[in-house]
Amino acid sequence: MWGDVMRNRLFQAVLAIFMLVLFAFVFSALANIVWQGMAGLAQSIASEEIRFAIRLSLFTSVTSTLICIIFAIPVAYGLERLNFPGRGLFSVLMDIPLSLPPLVCGVALLLLFGTTAFGQALAEHGLRFIFSVNGIIVAQFFIITPYMIRVLKSTIADINPRLEFVARTLGCTQWQAFCRVTLPLAKNGIIAGLVISWARAIGEFGCTLMLAGATRMVTETLPVALFLNMSIGNMEMVTASATCLIIISLVSLSIFEIVGRRNNAASRII
Amino acid sequence: MICLRNVSKDLGDFKLQNINLDIEDNEYFVILGPTGTGKTVILEIIAGMYKPDEGEVWLNNRNVTAEYPEARNIGFVYQDYMLFPHLNVQDNILFALKLKKTPKAVMKQKLEEITTLLHIERLLKRYPATLSGGEQQRVAIARALVTEPAVLLLDEPLSALDPRTKEIFQYELKNVHEQIKTTAIHITHDFNEALVLADRVGVMFDGKIEQVGTPGEVFQKPQSEFVAEFMGMENIFCGELGEAGCARYVNVGPVRICVASKLEGGRVRIAFRAEDIIIAQDELFSSAQNNLPARIMEIIPRGPFFKVHLDAGIPLVALVTKQAIEKMALVPGKHVWAIFKTSAVHVF
Repeated sequence: MWGDVMRNRLFQAVLAIFMLVLFAFVFSALANIVWQGMAGLAQSIASEEIRFAIRLSLFTSVTSTLICIIFAIPVAYGLERLNFPGRGLFSVLMDIPLSLPPLVCGVALLLLFGTTAFGQALAEHGLRFIFSVNGIIVAQFFIITPYMIRVLKSTIADINPRLEFVARTLGCTQWQAFCRVTLPLAKNGIIAGLVISWARAIGEFGCTLMLAGATRMVTETLPVALFLNMSIGNMEMVTASATCLIIISLVSLSIFEIVGRRNNAASRII
Repeated sequence: MICLRNVSKDLGDFKLQNINLDIEDNEYFVILGPTGTGKTVILEIIAGMYKPDEGEVWLNNRNVTAEYPEARNIGFVYQDYMLFPHLNVQDNILFALKLKKTPKAVMKQKLEEITTLLHIERLLKRYPATLSGGEQQRVAIARALVTEPAVLLLDEPLSALDPRTKEIFQYELKNVHEQIKTTAIHITHDFNEALVLADRVGVMFDGKIEQVGTPGEVFQKPQSEFVAEFMGMENIFCGELGEAGCARYVNVGPVRICVASKLEGGRVRIAFRAEDIIIAQDELFSSAQNNLPARIMEIIPRGPFFKVHLDAGIPLVALVTKQAIEKMALVPGKHVWAIFKTSAVHVF
C-alpha cells in the first residue's frame, strides 16, 4: 500500500520534471528575446523599416487570409458533403503543402510562375508574383489554405447533414440550407480557422523568401525584416521584429483558445 | 396519397427491395420492423434525400421521383429531432414561413395555432439545448406541421422518450393527427405504438415489406414466419395440411393439430400464441380440439407471467400466472396436458 503511494508520487514527480524543463526552456527563450526587444522596441517601431514591415505584414496576411477563406469554405464543404470519385485523392493533394518544407513550396511556386506558359500569361496581364508583394500574398495563401481547410472540414463534419436535409424539406434550396443552417453552425470553426491561418500567414517566411525574395523596403515582411537585420548583425531590429511577431502570436493564440473552447472540432486539429 | 412503385435502393448497410406501398389521404400509416431493416431509408426516399435506384415515388398523383426535397411539401421529424441549435424555438418553428416571406400577421396566427395544439407556448424563446426530449419532439412536430405539409414523416418519434412521456405523447400524437388531418407515415419498432396510432401497418423485414394490414389483421393473422415472430407468436411450425371427414388438421412431425383453414392441402405454416395454451393436470373434455400430452421442460419468469416450455412431441411455449404455477405445483419434469382451441391456430 505504502509502496503504491510512493510509486504514484514518483510517477507524478517525473511528469512534473518533464513539464517544468520544457516550460523553462520555452519560457526562457521567449522571455529573453522579449526582454531584449522591449528595451529598443519603441525606438525600432519608430524606424521606417519596421513600420514598413508591420504594414506590409498586416496587409499581406489579411489579404491572403481573406482569399484563403473564400476558397477554403466551398472546398472544405465539398470535400465533406459531396460524394465524387477521387475525393480521397483530392483531399490528400490539398494536404500536401502541410507536410512540405515551406522552401519546397516556394520553389514550386517560383517555377510555376517563372518558367511556365501559365505564369508568363499571368505576368503579361499584370499579375506578377515573382519578387513582388503579390508573391508574398500567394506564398502565404499557398501555405495557410490547407490549415484552414482542415479546420473547416472538421467543423463541417461535426454538423449533422440531416439538419440541412430538414431545412430542405422546409423549403430551402441547397444554397439556402448551407447559408441558413451550416454556415451559422460553423461560425466558431470559421473564426478559429481565420485566426490560426492569419497567425501562420504573418509568420510565413520560407515560401515567401523563395517566391517574393527578401528585398529591403519592398518585400520586407516582419520575418523578412528579422532575417535581413540578422544577416547584418542589427540585433536591436532583430529583437524588435521578433517581439512584434511574438505579441501577434500570443494575441492570436488567445483568441483561438477562447473560440476553440467553444469549438472542439477546431481545437482538435491544431 | 402516396404511392411507392417497385422502389429499390442499395445504400450498402441498408437495402430496400422492390417496395410497393399505397397510402391513402389522411391515413396514419405505421411502418413496423426491427432496427436496421431500412425503415428510415423509405422515409428519406419519400422526402427526397435519396433517389431510388429503381422505381417511382408518387405524391398526390404527381411523380416526384426526380424532384428535390424542397419541391415536395413534406414535413420530416427525425428520432433525434434535428432542431436547428442556433435558433430558438420560435425561429425553429417559423423557419419555413420566414423563408417564404409569409406576412407577419399570418405567421403570428399560425405560430399561435400550432404552439397551442402542441402545448409549447411557454417555450418560444428557449434554445433547443435547454429543452427536454419530449419538448424538443413537440417543437420538431410543430416545425414540420406549420407548413401544412402534404405528408408528415415521423422517424421513430417516440423511441427517445422515457416510457411515461412516450405513453402520453402517443395519445397526443393521435389527437394532433385527428385535428390536422394530414397523411402521416410513422416508423417504429414498437407494436404498441402501431396499435394505438395506426390506421394500417406495414411490417418490414430485411428491406422488404412483408405484410400490410390493419393492426388487428397483422396481429391476428401474420402472413409470414417473420411477422408471426415479430408479433410475439412463439409457437410457429411447418406441417402438412390434411383433411379427415369434416375436420382439418396439420401434421407437425408426430403431432396432429386441428385447424380451421380454407387453404388447399399441402405444406403450410401454423402459428399460435403462448397465452392461448391452457395447461391442465388431466385431459380435458371441452370444446377445445387440441389436447396434447406434454412434459414441462423449463419455467422462466417473464414480467408478471411465467413462460412454460413444454415437450409435446413438438416444443411448445405456454404463458401462465404465478398462482397457476403454485396451485398446480408445476415443476420441470411434470406431465401435463396442453390444450388450445382450433380457432387460436393461424394457418398461412
